[in-house]
Amino acid sequence: MTEIENRAKASAAVPQPDTVRMMEMQALLDRYPPDPRFALAVMQDMQRQFNYVPREGLLALSSRIGRSEAQLYSMATFYKALSIKPKGRHIIKLCDGTACHIRGSAHLVAAVERLLGIKPEETTTDGMFSLELVNCLGSCALAPVMVVDGRYYGKVSADQLRGILDECRAGEEERAAL
Amino acid sequence: MTRTIFVCCGTGCIANGSLAVADALRAALDETATAYGQGKAAATAGQAERREAAATAGIQVEALVKQTGCNGFCENGPIVKIMPDDISYYKVKPQDAAEIIDSLDKAPVERLLYKDRDGRSLRSQKENPFYAQQMKIVLRNIGEIDPAEIDDYLARGGYAALKKALAMQPAEIIAEVEKSGLRGRGGAGFPTGSKWRIAASYDDFPKYVVMNGDEGDPGAFMDRSILEGDPHCVLEGLAICALAVGAEQGFFYIRDEYGLALHQVQKAIADAGKAGILGNAIMGSEKKLHLEVVRGGGAFVCGESTALMASIEGRPGEPRAKYIRSVQRGLWDKPTVLNNVETLANIPFLILEGGAKFAEKGTANSKGTKVFALVGKVKRTGLIEVPMGVSLRHLIFDIGGGLLSDRPFKAVQTGGPSGGCIPAELLDLPVDFDTLTEKGAMMGSGGMIVMDDRDCMVEMARYYVNFLCGESCGKCTPCREGLRQLRNILTDITEGRGEPEDLQLMEEICDTMRDASLCALGKSAPNPVMTTLRYFREEYESHIRDKTCPAGHCPKLTAFRIDTDKCTGCGRCAGACPGGAISGAIKSPYRIDGSKCLACGVCRDLCRFEAAIAEKAGYEA
Amino acid sequence: MIIHIDGKACVCEKGEYLLHVAAQNGIFIPRFCHHPGLPGQACCRVCLVEVETEAGGERQVVSSCVYPVEREMQVYTNSDKIKKQRRMVLSLLSARAPDSGRTAALLKSAGGSLPERFTRLAGEKCILCGLCAKACESVGTAAISVAGRGTDKKISTPFALPPDACIGCASCAAVCPTEVIAYVEDGGTRTIWGRSFQLKYCETCGDMLGTEEEVAHAANKAGGEPARLCPACRKKTIAGALGKPFARG
Repeated sequence: MTEIENRAKASAAVPQPDTVRMMEMQALLDRYPPDPRFALAVMQDMQRQFNYVPREGLLALSSRIGRSEAQLYSMATFYKALSIKPKGRHIIKLCDGTACHIRGSAHLVAAVERLLGIKPEETTTDGMFSLELVNCLGSCALAPVMVVDGRYYGKVSADQLRGILDECRAGEEERAAL
Repeated sequence: MTRTIFVCCGTGCIANGSLAVADALRAALDETATAYGQGKAAATAGQAERREAAATAGIQVEALVKQTGCNGFCENGPIVKIMPDDISYYKVKPQDAAEIIDSLDKAPVERLLYKDRDGRSLRSQKENPFYAQQMKIVLRNIGEIDPAEIDDYLARGGYAALKKALAMQPAEIIAEVEKSGLRGRGGAGFPTGSKWRIAASYDDFPKYVVMNGDEGDPGAFMDRSILEGDPHCVLEGLAICALAVGAEQGFFYIRDEYGLALHQVQKAIADAGKAGILGNAIMGSEKKLHLEVVRGGGAFVCGESTALMASIEGRPGEPRAKYIRSVQRGLWDKPTVLNNVETLANIPFLILEGGAKFAEKGTANSKGTKVFALVGKVKRTGLIEVPMGVSLRHLIFDIGGGLLSDRPFKAVQTGGPSGGCIPAELLDLPVDFDTLTEKGAMMGSGGMIVMDDRDCMVEMARYYVNFLCGESCGKCTPCREGLRQLRNILTDITEGRGEPEDLQLMEEICDTMRDASLCALGKSAPNPVMTTLRYFREEYESHIRDKTCPAGHCPKLTAFRIDTDKCTGCGRCAGACPGGAISGAIKSPYRIDGSKCLACGVCRDLCRFEAAIAEKAGYEA
Repeated sequence: MIIHIDGKACVCEKGEYLLHVAAQNGIFIPRFCHHPGLPGQACCRVCLVEVETEAGGERQVVSSCVYPVEREMQVYTNSDKIKKQRRMVLSLLSARAPDSGRTAALLKSAGGSLPERFTRLAGEKCILCGLCAKACESVGTAAISVAGRGTDKKISTPFALPPDACIGCASCAAVCPTEVIAYVEDGGTRTIWGRSFQLKYCETCGDMLGTEEEVAHAANKAGGEPARLCPACRKKTIAGALGKPFARG
């Protein structure tokens, strides 16, 4: 009995059966004609859906458009919008454009490191947050700017940062409770 | 009176909560309408119907809330403008909505008006020094229309230029653009008319037209604001370009980070298609044009034309040598015209009013206006449009209102990583393509970052070089390896390990990068280093020789202490100190524990009494 | 048409690349990222020359491997400016790949030395010319590529794993100017990029034909059966087969 329970638990812990993911992947590929010029768009969609470009996605795209895996890997590592490693569920983008830089974005980087223990381009071990230092977001008048899960925060101070991160955590706990 | 309430919903104002303000204003309007006895049914009807119903009921307080693109004065957002009264409110909160609606037939809400230096309240944008000294061609519709509504654009004369162009011969269109003297606004300043003429001269089809919206210069957001606030204008410009060169397919290449701009352009293309303006019969003619949006992948180098085209073709954005220009062989080896967003936004005006009228504005070799993003340590930051040739001083001090806290001006950085730092002695330079290039900087696409005496020029150079280390495509040796060496040397200098010979060695590296790099990114990459070496050499020398950072910025060379005579004991610095190095009791002087101090300078930035002082650190090699 | 390279009159076709014209006329221009069988890349920037299209006009620095001759011009492969730039480019490459003997030798022959101040990438031999990836694309299966960008760019297999697509042809190693790509042939197998391949030999003379996969790939491309003989033996066999009737007659 305990063994079955354990197995059930173990299978529940597997995030997604591969077949489901492959079906999602296929649906995503089908959005575009099989033409190499849509390679970037397809990979951006994968990034959006899976938080990274999985290897099986690269391979599926490769056979669909006739570009080798290495050629697509080259793109996936060239464009900053794409990542070959899974990113966290909440993405903190700290703007390091010039205006933000001279208005103290470095303080925010240090604050995130203190609060979450991650440096730019890293993900927390629980997979909750990723920190990205991004190029100018074009909101310089509000420097320093931070974007969390697509929401813009202007003139951010280290104090506010804690509140914003706590909000993300609380949101997740709320959803988990439902 | 029929009023329109414009709520600025550019990215800056949205970040400040303008969407909630728009909602609150709509709700307040509904409530007012209900109060006037329209009943609940009216609240669910569309705004236009409500307006009509209100008009027939003879109700005076009726207005339409419209969400516009960026008004430019982002720092003071959310901005709400009421027309035709011409009242502008700043830093509006949702809870102000009822009061605003209530005041419509009465005196304006005093506390939301902009105050000038003497504390006088300004009703109209025309009185506001930030707006009063601008000249709007490119930005003429922004803030006046809802960018998501094609009818708004049409109501302001939109697509009349395209209609006019359809009746012209391609050569006539090109002649008009040439007559205007318009030069590419992306930075290089190549004459737009010549580009079109060369592309038109090839009998090699299909041809392509491409809009470059991969705006990546840190501190620049002109293109984002234009695309967000007036997408149809750019679309019309690109359509006229396509007619002139004989292209039937066009691409909008837009940074993926610009979510709102992407959305507005996609909607504009769809709406223009539905309205019969695009597609298989442009405005009912026999001409065709199909437009498509391509999302950028997050690569600064893709602002370079050949890299951008590689990206559209589905490859990594690596530039190629341009001995054969892309107007001859561009996308898929076919003639391709690539124009910047702002360049295209000038086209409808230019065609309607004529090239000669356009050429009346600006200087001898730089015609028309230029949009700048004025940011950094300046009082009024935001987006401004001025005629070419105005001085930097006018931009920064008259329009921008001078430096924050009236600190001394040190430099203005123009042109992003391809540009340079311009010192105070050159503030009276006219801003145009050629003057800034002559001084080793570059007008670039229009980013202007103002810096004060607390900004370190060596650190600025290091910042840009570091930026480019990650943003260079890495294909050619001078750019990739030159940047690597420059970064190491500059880091050493800012950390007190500089050597006297470093300056000459950096100059030699820069010289090779400029001459020997493959593309414009590499050729211009040394500019931030070369201009700071040219205008702020003594600052480098202080770092190297005396191991001091005169700006008190470089943490390895700086220590902070609190001047006990000046400290009022407000405790502001202690609360913000990331190292927890500041301690003390309220109302008596605080002190900094040097062993915990990170020398980040937050205390100095926050102190209103100049009590936190930067000093030379006890440097140990 | 005729152009002048370092004062020497050189006959060439319109559209021909400068580097090629120079080579045809016995003028050597140093370079790293160029291979006669592959398209020019213009990335190492060692083959820079100055061109002057109008007498006394401004000289332009161009990379000769991709610069097409469109009109008459003067070309300078050894002007003071070019020598200086070439020395700096080679210094930068030497700092990047301090273990590459050829880079060091080229720098020395250009009269330069690696500045002490330059940071070296310890143990590195690769100069990132990208020829290996280009060769793999054209001869092999595009199993390797450049990865990343900027100062972190490198040559890599997908996910830095032994590449599934590799056929072990070792074209990458053959074109590498700094001999970075290592492979081992031992007892009938070739090991490259972390994978081992069975080697195939000529059934007549025993000469190596390449890896099984490589031979199959070539046959697939040409649309025939995988080769069993080396080119020389195949020629002999064909000649023999053709010769027989005559011999009988």
